[in-house]
Amino acid sequence: MLTLSILIPLLASLGLFVWSDGTKEKARLVALSASALSLLCLIVVWIGFNTGPEAPAFQSVAEVGWIDALGVAWRVGVDGMSLAISLMSGLLFLCAIAWPAETKGRARQYYGWFLFLQGVSLGLFLTLDLLVFYVFFDLTLVGMYFLICRWGHDQAEYAALKFFVYTLAGSLAILLAILGLVLANGTLSFDMRELIATQPLGGTDLRSSFVLFGFLVGFAIKTPLVPFHTWLPLAHVEAPGPASAVLAGVLLKMGTYGLVRIPFQMMRETFAAYAFPLAIVALVAILWGALVALGQTNLKRRIAYTSVNHMGYTVLGIAAAGAMIGSESVQTLALSGAVTEMVAHGFITGALFLIAGSFYSRTGTYDLARYGGLARVTPLLMAAYFLGAFASFGLPGLAGFVAEFQVFAGTFGVYPVLAAIGLIGLVVTAALFLMMGQQIFFGETRPEIAMVKDLKPAEIWPLSVLLAFVVLIGFVPGGLLDMIQTGSAFASFHSSVGQ
Amino acid sequence: MAFVLPLLPILFAIAAAFAPRDEHGRQRFWLTGLTVAAMALTAFAAALGAAGGWTGHIAWHEPLGLTAALPPLAGAMAILVPLIALPVLAYAAFHEEGRGLRRLVAILLIFVGGMELLVVAADFLTLLIGWELVGVCSYLLIAHEWRERENTASGLYAFLMTRFGDLGLFAAAMAVFSATGSFSYDGLTAMEGTPAVVAGFGLLLAAASKSGQLPFAPWLFRAMAGPTSVSALLHAATMVAAGAFILLRLEPFLASVPGLPGAIIAVGATTALSGGIVALLQAHAKRLLAASTSAHYGLMFVAVGAGYPGVAFLHLVAHAAFKALLFLAAGLAHEKTGSYDLSTMRLGRTLPLAGLLTLAGALSLAGIPPLGGGWTKEAVVTAAEHFSLWAAGAVILAGALSAAYAARFQLSAFGLPEEKDEDDEDAGETAPLWPQTRARQVEIVAMALLALFVLLTSLLWLPPVRTSAEAALQAVLPEASVATLVLSLIGVGLGLLIGTLIARQHLTFGNDGPAAEAAHWLGLPALIDAAITRPVLWLSRAAAKLDDSLIDGGVRVVALGGRGASWILRLKGEAGAEGLAAQATGLVGLVSLATSRFGEWLTDGLVEGLALTVGQSGRDARRLQTGLSHHYYAIATLGTGAAILLLLGLS
Repeated sequence: MLTLSILIPLLASLGLFVWSDGTKEKARLVALSASALSLLCLIVVWIGFNTGPEAPAFQSVAEVGWIDALGVAWRVGVDGMSLAISLMSGLLFLCAIAWPAETKGRARQYYGWFLFLQGVSLGLFLTLDLLVFYVFFDLTLVGMYFLICRWGHDQAEYAALKFFVYTLAGSLAILLAILGLVLANGTLSFDMRELIATQPLGGTDLRSSFVLFGFLVGFAIKTPLVPFHTWLPLAHVEAPGPASAVLAGVLLKMGTYGLVRIPFQMMRETFAAYAFPLAIVALVAILWGALVALGQTNLKRRIAYTSVNHMGYTVLGIAAAGAMIGSESVQTLALSGAVTEMVAHGFITGALFLIAGSFYSRTGTYDLARYGGLARVTPLLMAAYFLGAFASFGLPGLAGFVAEFQVFAGTFGVYPVLAAIGLIGLVVTAALFLMMGQQIFFGETRPEIAMVKDLKPAEIWPLSVLLAFVVLIGFVPGGLLDMIQTGSAFASFHSSVGQ
Repeated sequence: MAFVLPLLPILFAIAAAFAPRDEHGRQRFWLTGLTVAAMALTAFAAALGAAGGWTGHIAWHEPLGLTAALPPLAGAMAILVPLIALPVLAYAAFHEEGRGLRRLVAILLIFVGGMELLVVAADFLTLLIGWELVGVCSYLLIAHEWRERENTASGLYAFLMTRFGDLGLFAAAMAVFSATGSFSYDGLTAMEGTPAVVAGFGLLLAAASKSGQLPFAPWLFRAMAGPTSVSALLHAATMVAAGAFILLRLEPFLASVPGLPGAIIAVGATTALSGGIVALLQAHAKRLLAASTSAHYGLMFVAVGAGYPGVAFLHLVAHAAFKALLFLAAGLAHEKTGSYDLSTMRLGRTLPLAGLLTLAGALSLAGIPPLGGGWTKEAVVTAAEHFSLWAAGAVILAGALSAAYAARFQLSAFGLPEEKDEDDEDAGETAPLWPQTRARQVEIVAMALLALFVLLTSLLWLPPVRTSAEAALQAVLPEASVATLVLSLIGVGLGLLIGTLIARQHLTFGNDGPAAEAAHWLGLPALIDAAITRPVLWLSRAAAKLDDSLIDGGVRVVALGGRGASWILRLKGEAGAEGLAAQATGLVGLVSLATSRFGEWLTDGLVEGLALTVGQSGRDARRLQTGLSHHYYAIATLGTGAAILLLLGLS
């Protein structure tokens, strides 16, 4: 079933590339149905997902041998964390594909690349094989490179290139680290389950440190953490709205997901030894991201920098959870917050970037100074923006709060001072989102944008789906938290509780 | 069950959004009916809940979940909030502008719902949710007239100021969780040491910001940008009341934290005194009332700090009744004169009934027996006396100031005009006692209801009522001593005298000169602006620049190094390196192309010498661009394969 959810979009993507006479409408329809089918497969897995106390580390596991000599195989399976992130990703892809995009006369290719990206992204979250993980990790770069390069704005080629080369450097570091980790194991195997069980590298000797460092740098670039974040604003500004939504909503999660799955789970001791510096880097990302975002005058850059801030919360939670300090409940809360933040941030930022796309398609500019008084002409757009903004700065009753509250409450039990300082980020993000909203929507309506239209139905439904989940998670996060805390990523906490 | 209380107003808020759109009159009736029903129902449910000891629990995932409970003080508060909100909301539905009225009423209802949530909360997570909900509603309400940038800026100011205080609540919640493993209030009593101090002072920070205490007081002035009914509700029963409420709700714990009671009293007494002075200097009706709000919540802080949460609560009740009434009165006066300038009002003849009703509120604000405000203020004096004589003295002084500005407000706003102005028809004759239009009637009825509440609080002077209040709230009320009562009354008398003098002789006192500067919270907003707001904004712009130039510049320098390397590679390795080296050069060339577009300023010196190479690598780059990914994968696969072979060989 999981394999299907990866293969369907990939095959459909291939179909779109070779199908020479598809019109835009047909291509869109194919993309939508492939994306929906893929999501449906995930939902089927979700329905069968066991969140009970006896749940195994990974569920819905499937394995097909491939290169036995190297211990590489097609292995898929989910724990709560990967299932939650894949479901979010599947839904976000569906919404991004449904978004009325400017395809510049190359609709087939546009939807083809989107489906390709969906397939490889889901593959990355669902696979249980490190080598396959790495391959998918790089393939996502390819998909995103083309989406930005071909369908982006003015400086798209430069931005796409910078994105590609920069994150490629990160993935090379990851490749080396993967090899280092796998070779430290007694038997040659890329099976994640085995590596988690055997913990091939421990301690803080040079080798373990280097391997960990490789992972941290690679994932820090992808996440991105300060100071490796400068590819992000550029890529976002130049990318078309839906691609931005996917970039922020799904691709950034690969960094933090990888961080949990590989160094956090497979090198627990080494990770714990370096958790504190990582937490400090995360804190810097939180504060720097918020501060720099406040200083931006371009609305998309501003939203982009808030991602740095939010992913900082996630990494802070992961670092606190991995530090092996404090009680089990505190660590569980920190990690649960981090994973919730990944899911919540996917929905929230996805929605915000789609909204940013709506602004651009109406006015042709991201320059905040050229906006004003849109509330009168686009009340729906305003409602959507403010809901997204409120969620993003962590207003209770919305998804962001559930995540951030857990991160902070958990981190406080481990690094109280860092958590306390990090709180300042909450005020700054509130300021920057509200100031931006006021600039765009309030005041007298500027004449040059007084004629723009409110949201179209094709924009309304993807946005309402995303925002509905933001509200739903905010009000009744119970189901999501149950799911997230099931299985492999949280196993270390549960096992020691049982002892 | 207890969650019904916050849920009811929110459900009605959704209904309010569906009120009929067009017909002016019908919409107002709809909304009035809706709000009155919502508030009456909520108050009734709260009464049931308080009597029946309702609780509630909504599990998220252990240890996260929402819990609610209604101990006596919370129960009483849960009843008070909708009771005060009822007349205020009815007034809003008729008084406020028709444009955006549904939105206003709906958000006001959610505002009440959020307040009820934080009142019934029995753990920090629930408290935080209600707390923030109230905060964001206040933002939306203050910025209600969004067409004016000034209003939305004020809303933001108020929101950020209080949100900064909310961090204290976050800190308290985190400290409680790390110490006890749960967010429940129950664990508080067992806390000690650093977590207790963090939790206690965090709560104080949050409460001070919400309740408009120093140094957060200026946000209450900016909050005046909202409609009158918003001010009335915000000051009397929601938002601002939340700060004092959470302190009195958690008082036993606060008293156990070393140094905290003294800090609470210090904050409260300082605010009470400075707020009193600021209020007296105001010729702007709403600002006068706003400063007095800070001052009176300061008195409640003093009572809590002295260990008498019951007294603080009763003062909150008395204050809620008279302050809501006075704000509605200020709204009427504004309607009549078109401004909030006290020196131009004197509406005693034009609005006789309103003036009479307001008198009840003003007397209570002044703290004159036998009105409720008088008794509760004396109780605060007595409570403070138990802590220290200085505190009691400060409260007496604050009471005197309160009497002075109450007199100034009443006499300036609803005093009789000094001489008849023949040209002005309105001012000339006494208007009919009972107003003619429907809107005016609703307004007057709303005010009459609040005046009735004010009079009801006067019953506190009767000992039997007092004992039953003590029993119902399960809180101890102190017995007043004659000496302080006399001193206090002398203070009130002097205050009245000064206030009357200002209202009669110095109408515009505080409008100019040093008094005007002091009237603006003694220069505090300017200080905040210079010390926090502007530096942060400057810092953010500087950080944005730094991010572009230094951090991204570092990346570009690396790329530049790559370009240099590619140049050397080209010179040396032309001959043999057709395969991999050329690819590597191409990749680096791509980077350098990228650099050359944006990083001109970095490369100015180098560009001359490298121009040829750049051109070359640029051409390479363009040639390579289409096949970039598969070239790369070829290399990656080769590299992986080589590495694996090497490893296999080794092992």
